[in-house]
Amino acid sequence: MRLLVIEDEKKAGEYLKKGLEESGFTVDVVANGIDGLHQALEEDYDLLVLDVMLPGMDGWEVLRRLREKKDVPVLLLTAVDELEERVRGLELGGDDYLVKPFAFVELLARIRTLLRRGPPRDIEHMRIGDLEIDAVRRRVRRNGQRIDLTPREFSLLQLLARRRGEVLSRAQIASYVWDMNFDSDTNVVEVAIRRLRAKVDEGYGVKLIHTVRGMGYVLDDEREDA
Amino acid sequence: MRTLSLTARLTLIFTLVTTTSFALVGVLLFKAASQRIIEQDETNLVLSARHLRRLAGEFAALPDLVAHQDRLVISVLGDASNALRITGSDGQTLVDHNPLHLPLAFPDTIAPDQRLVPTMLESLRDTHGDTVRGMAAAGKLQDGTLITIIVARSLADRQLLLRHYQRDMVRRLLAGMAAAILLGYLLIRQALRPLRTLAGQAATISAHNLGTRLSASNAPPELHALTATLNDMLSRLEEGFSRVWRFTVDLAHDLRTPIGNLRGTNEVALTRPRTSEEYQALLGSNIEECDRVSRMIENVLFLARAESPQFALQRSVFDVGDELQLIGDYFEGIAADAEVDIRVAGHARLLADRDLFRRAVGNLLSNALRYTPRHHAIDVRVEEAPGAIRILVENPGDGIAPEHLDKLFDRFYRVDRARGDSAHSAGLGLSIVRSILDLHGGRVTAESEPSGTTRFTLWFPTAPP
Repeated sequence: MRLLVIEDEKKAGEYLKKGLEESGFTVDVVANGIDGLHQALEEDYDLLVLDVMLPGMDGWEVLRRLREKKDVPVLLLTAVDELEERVRGLELGGDDYLVKPFAFVELLARIRTLLRRGPPRDIEHMRIGDLEIDAVRRRVRRNGQRIDLTPREFSLLQLLARRRGEVLSRAQIASYVWDMNFDSDTNVVEVAIRRLRAKVDEGYGVKLIHTVRGMGYVLDDEREDA
Repeated sequence: MRTLSLTARLTLIFTLVTTTSFALVGVLLFKAASQRIIEQDETNLVLSARHLRRLAGEFAALPDLVAHQDRLVISVLGDASNALRITGSDGQTLVDHNPLHLPLAFPDTIAPDQRLVPTMLESLRDTHGDTVRGMAAAGKLQDGTLITIIVARSLADRQLLLRHYQRDMVRRLLAGMAAAILLGYLLIRQALRPLRTLAGQAATISAHNLGTRLSASNAPPELHALTATLNDMLSRLEEGFSRVWRFTVDLAHDLRTPIGNLRGTNEVALTRPRTSEEYQALLGSNIEECDRVSRMIENVLFLARAESPQFALQRSVFDVGDELQLIGDYFEGIAADAEVDIRVAGHARLLADRDLFRRAVGNLLSNALRYTPRHHAIDVRVEEAPGAIRILVENPGDGIAPEHLDKLFDRFYRVDRARGDSAHSAGLGLSIVRSILDLHGGRVTAESEPSGTTRFTLWFPTAPP
């Protein structure tokens, strides 16, 4: 998957390239709007990460001109979190919108969502190592043994399993599981993960739920805890 | 349209009133005067006619009358405007005194036994177009001979007199009006001086000396209310300014903690080589500090945005009970850890911004969780009050001292500054609650009993403004 990052802030460009490459993408970074638009039109990319505040030609203009010719997915980055800005971005043909400062895992998740083509994986029945999740009957078994979960715990486990291998931030989890879309000061997610872990991982040799310090949580059966 | 100054406006009104009353008085006076003069003249004419008729009656026959005509003429002498003619029954002129050659052909002749009154006077016009008033009255000599006595008076001189009078009066009235207007203007200016003084005082006030207050000691009582109102406004502005100032200082202060942590931990880490585990731990801690700063920025921005008139609420109708249940669910884990129960009760439908509603209740609940002792319960319930939906969040605990209660919702206000747990940026949570309620046209109140129940109440009006 080839990504083009159009970002004028040097440090930001560098860490985005590094982070995205380590997540398995091929990444080009361009530092201004004019070159960015040129490159986006000349070459084939699967997705564009476009900063709105750019020297030369701003992100809105790049997006507008790009949309005259190409339909590649565009994820907009901006420091301004205003409703009008969001509306404008989406009207001009942006596919998603992320406000700085953002969690890198959040960016990764949005990129993956935009790139995911076709119907999502079959999630009625999931199996990760010896963990089985039956979404229809809302039942969980590990190593053949039934685990009783509260409805919220089940949603949380289901989310982690569906996005296995992917680090999910606290805000993402709060939003998906409880539909809470504000950044709470409380450690609700940490507590929920701890309680879920006690039921799912305690007493088993292989731990499935891992904490990625400062970033979030991931479900993975091939990962060693740091 | 340009608005006139108060002085100009008052002067204009004053001028209008003065002019109108002067003009009205002038017209009335003039009318009265001319009426009086005319009445006087007419009475004189009638009296002359009566006198002449009586005199004529004393003459025995016509020759007597002609011989003594001076006695007759004398009664109309002395006024050049007067005329007298006496004719015989055959129409010949017996006596004629008519220096102005007034027309004397009055159509009616009044019978000799009829009493003469002013209403019998008739009008004619002379060659100059001036009015001539007069009458023709029959008289009888002692021998029974009938004569006709004609008396008349030209009004030309009276009209001239009245015109002069009119002109004089208009001049004097105009002069009087001018004087009144000038005087009025000066007096109004003088009367409005306290206003200018007030404006002068107000002009010296800027953001740097908001402590200044306007003084109305020499001003008329009408201005005292205005001055008091302005001073109240200044007090509010001053308070607002100092709140913004305090907010800025507190914000800068609160930003120091995470920045200091970041710098410190990184510096210490760099003093010697570390294991990769240690580096990982450090980076994780760095991200946590960044999150803390981000959260503060987000909260501050939310508060700022909530004050902008452009802030648009995404209102929808929902069941408050279901929402409270959901929020309670969200805190379920933390509550279980703290061994605290969250009890939710009640149902009501509400039109509000659902995300902001969750945020407000969530902030109250996380606040309550922080202060509720183990093995106790937090009560969250919704009630319908007249014109409002009330959401109550109650928790037992140490209570909040009364002096803190109304300041709880101020930004960065912390009951115990030393305990100020800025990792939770608790200083903003309650002000965000208040902002959200303000946006909905509602309010939030706090009550607390010492060592008893602390109750926060959200009032959402049922008819949004």
